[in-house]
Amino acid sequence: MIAARNLGKRVATAAGPLDILTDIGLEIQAREAVAIVGVSGSGKSTLLGLLAGLDLPSAGEVFLSSYRLNDLDEDGRARVRGELVGFVFQSFQLLTGLTALENVMLPLELMGARDPRDQAAELLDRVGLAGRLQHYPKQLSGGEQQRVAIARAFATEPAILFADEPTGNLDNVTGERVIDLLFRLNRDKGTTLVLVTHDEHLAGRCERLIRLEAGRVVADVTEVHSA
Amino acid sequence: MIRWRLAMRLLVRNRHSGEQRILVAALVIAVAASTAIGFFTDRLGRGMANQSADFLGADLTLVSPRPVDADWFREARAKGLQAIEALKFASVVVGGEALLLSSVKAVQDGFPLRGKLRTALAPFAADAETQALPRPGEAWVAPRLLTTLGLQVGDAVEVGTHTLNITRVITFEPGRVGNPFGIAPRLLMRMADVPATNVVQPGSRLSYQYLFAGREADVARFRDWLEPRLGPSHELVGVKEGRRAVGSALERAERYLGLAVLAAIVLAGVAVAMAARRYSERHFDMSAMLRCMGASQRDLLGLYLPQLLVLGLAASAVGCTLGWVAQYGLLYLLADLLPATPSAPHAWPVLAGFATGLITLAGFALPPVMRLKDVPPLRVLRRDLLPLPSRAWLVYGAALAAIVAVMWRYTGSWPLTLSVLSGGIALVALLSLLAWLLLLLSRRFNTRVGVAWRFGLNNLWRHRRGSVSQILAFGLTLMAMAVVALVRTDLLTTWQQQLPADVPNHFAFNILPDQVEEFQTFMEQAGVATAQLYPMVRGRLIEINGTAVRKAVTKEARNDDALNRELNLTWTTELQADNRVLAGRWWQPDDTGKPRVSVESKLARRMGIEPGDELRFAVGDQRFTTEVASIRSVQWESFRPNFYMVFPPQVIDRFPATWMTSFYLQKAEKSLLRELVARYPAVTVLEMDRVIEQVGRIFRQVTLAVEYVLVFTLLAGFAVLFAALQASQDDRLYEGALLRVLGGSRRQLRAGHLAEFTALGGLAGLLAAMGTECLAWVLYSEVLHLEYSFQWPVWITAPIAGALLIGAAGYWGTRAVVERSPMLLLQNQ
Repeated sequence: MIAARNLGKRVATAAGPLDILTDIGLEIQAREAVAIVGVSGSGKSTLLGLLAGLDLPSAGEVFLSSYRLNDLDEDGRARVRGELVGFVFQSFQLLTGLTALENVMLPLELMGARDPRDQAAELLDRVGLAGRLQHYPKQLSGGEQQRVAIARAFATEPAILFADEPTGNLDNVTGERVIDLLFRLNRDKGTTLVLVTHDEHLAGRCERLIRLEAGRVVADVTEVHSA
Repeated sequence: MIRWRLAMRLLVRNRHSGEQRILVAALVIAVAASTAIGFFTDRLGRGMANQSADFLGADLTLVSPRPVDADWFREARAKGLQAIEALKFASVVVGGEALLLSSVKAVQDGFPLRGKLRTALAPFAADAETQALPRPGEAWVAPRLLTTLGLQVGDAVEVGTHTLNITRVITFEPGRVGNPFGIAPRLLMRMADVPATNVVQPGSRLSYQYLFAGREADVARFRDWLEPRLGPSHELVGVKEGRRAVGSALERAERYLGLAVLAAIVLAGVAVAMAARRYSERHFDMSAMLRCMGASQRDLLGLYLPQLLVLGLAASAVGCTLGWVAQYGLLYLLADLLPATPSAPHAWPVLAGFATGLITLAGFALPPVMRLKDVPPLRVLRRDLLPLPSRAWLVYGAALAAIVAVMWRYTGSWPLTLSVLSGGIALVALLSLLAWLLLLLSRRFNTRVGVAWRFGLNNLWRHRRGSVSQILAFGLTLMAMAVVALVRTDLLTTWQQQLPADVPNHFAFNILPDQVEEFQTFMEQAGVATAQLYPMVRGRLIEINGTAVRKAVTKEARNDDALNRELNLTWTTELQADNRVLAGRWWQPDDTGKPRVSVESKLARRMGIEPGDELRFAVGDQRFTTEVASIRSVQWESFRPNFYMVFPPQVIDRFPATWMTSFYLQKAEKSLLRELVARYPAVTVLEMDRVIEQVGRIFRQVTLAVEYVLVFTLLAGFAVLFAALQASQDDRLYEGALLRVLGGSRRQLRAGHLAEFTALGGLAGLLAAMGTECLAWVLYSEVLHLEYSFQWPVWITAPIAGALLIGAAGYWGTRAVVERSPMLLLQNQ
């Protein structure tokens, strides 16, 4: 489903070029749930950006499904994202001017779905926000906002879901609930999950764990455990 | 379709956002200003044209020394015009024992086609408008003709071989405005009586006048048809040409209206640009998110451009409506001054309004909004990622293109547009540099002021790039307001100076030399102040630098009125108040008795006369040569005695002269005139009060228009102010919250903001004063042709106004920073 070969990311800084990622190689199968872990600055989010086609690598190549992202321009990658990918972010990234319902409708509308309103309402119902459809993000708690974001991410039924520190802005209890929801939907929809986190406990709920240190993969472990 | 629907939904959802409101408000102001002034100048312009037509007696007059092709007349009627003929000739009129050279006009039914004759039953008696004309066998005459010939209404006069009975006195005749001096008095008679006079003989000097009137478009069509057929001896006088009485004032007013609207539109454009920039910045996250969801760059444009378009159309519609309403308000205000049924409004101001709205939007808002398509999707992970800034050439190029488009509409001339534009760019560059310098200087005071001021000035310095652009934006705004206000004041002052309440409205000439003192005493005793008495010697200019004048001048100048008639020559030691010496020098005491002359500047230009040239004059059968000592500008609209040729004393006083003067009489004092002509029968009194009233009315209309437009410029200025405040609002909110978290009190924060904005306003005001000085100088000398003097009050008022205005607005605009809970603000970041 996802493959990275000899992936590298180098950026220019005032002190000269800096390698954020070096020689990353990995393959993620369909329906796999993978956690990418590491301390701050280890390059997790950069890797997520590259795998999701938000950015281009300085070296190596990325495949998403049958697409070689290196071959595509930004609009081409956007098309692939629209077709295959959903996102959940630490900071929720809800559009403040839109209600919960409208936020979830947005990707459906972009896709040209026929009845975005009904689909969005149903999804919000599934994440337990049936009574909050017309609320604006400001009127929702952090946990509720993230549930809206999750509903939005699943709205287009993506094959792959990228989650960047999805509980980073939430307290433990709320975070736990949100993660339960995320995994449940993931299982129900058969989505491939790539989760970036520094939370070992959260990472432990994934079947596979890739550990980054200073931009290199130092461990890639597949465990069998109960979620 | 989906994108369109989504775009509209986003637009509606965004309706409460500050930047969208400012964007719309600024556009509405620009469009309303453009439309209101479009409607207003269009209708008022046509109203004024009607009044000018009333002056002329027709919409178009063709003057010819010979009868013109009868086809021309038929063509005019075929084009839907009214057309009548009149014949003008000079003829010696005999009344009793006396003779007088008169200007006879023979007219047909329908005369005048525009405006109304005013007549009275006796000289200087109360007059009234009339629709009638003299009947066959009758003559209506100017009061002067009666007083000079010693006749009364009811007496007979002979014109050629025909006797006419005088039945009324003419007090105002459309088509007879202009230089009132040296004109033979009018005698108005029927065309049907002309053959009986036997005046029209081969070789007589006749002036055939063809008067046309009709709908504006028909007149224009006929004019286009006629012009190519005219020969050199034909003269076509339309409303524009006929406006000379109020000409330069109107022209200036039109330029001013254009200038003020232009200032309003450019200011509104700046506000639009600022609001659009903030709109764009506030949509970065959304764009990044949409990119993540698979939206292409086209999708994003498809989402934002329709919003912009709808905003532009909606704002233009609102602006047009407001402009429409504003124009009615103005028509209501001016009801007394306008024709009873003002010409119907044209549709083009609406089109122009929409064009202004969309052009302003495209020029100022498009570049920042286009940036949204370039937001990197990675921004969802790294909020510090920004789209590449719009290319400078794109931003400024688009804005410049918009300004050029709008400016061209108002100037109608490419060279003028381009020179104004390049001047504007140079000015902005210079002012940016000055803004930097001012900011640098303000740092020097930093250590000598209190805590709040230090906080404020430090803030300015820390955000120095933003501060410079804000100083520039506010400075340009204040400058535009100052220039528009300044020009208004000067225009009005100029007009008021030209037409003060006691502007001389009567002229007395033909005062005999031995009556001068007595006449003065008579007027003094009557309590009427007279202007200086000027001698008048009738003479002709015959040679320039030894060459006969007709050969010395260009072909065009050969038909000049001043060459074809006797000029009034005068002498004086004092330069008339409204005259200015443009070249050479005015008389010094030792010029007395020396053969020198001062020449009116326009005549000098037409004839190619310069200081040092030798002019030869003929007075009767005597000739003399003088050297041109100076070239003078003269305000002919001032209704004061003015002369083409002025000599120092003791040069032409050997020739027979009569004297003239002007004075102001109120309506109630008119009876004095009867006494005056009874006592000095030779003295000729010319009544200009009707003409002056008419001119005054036009000035008052224009004054109102000028003040009206100022309001739009001020509104646009405020839009810039609020857009600029909004632009820095997010940063300020965040910083304010941080400062409060760190222990700053509300009071400190408020005082700091107040100091910061007051300093900003003061610096902007100073910048505005510099800019005003430069811009006003160019405008006065190049566009409005007014005299320019150093505008010292601007140097005081602009910084103070800037400090107060921007201090207060900034204080008010940032109250949210102190009022909102810091926690809330930090959470929202």
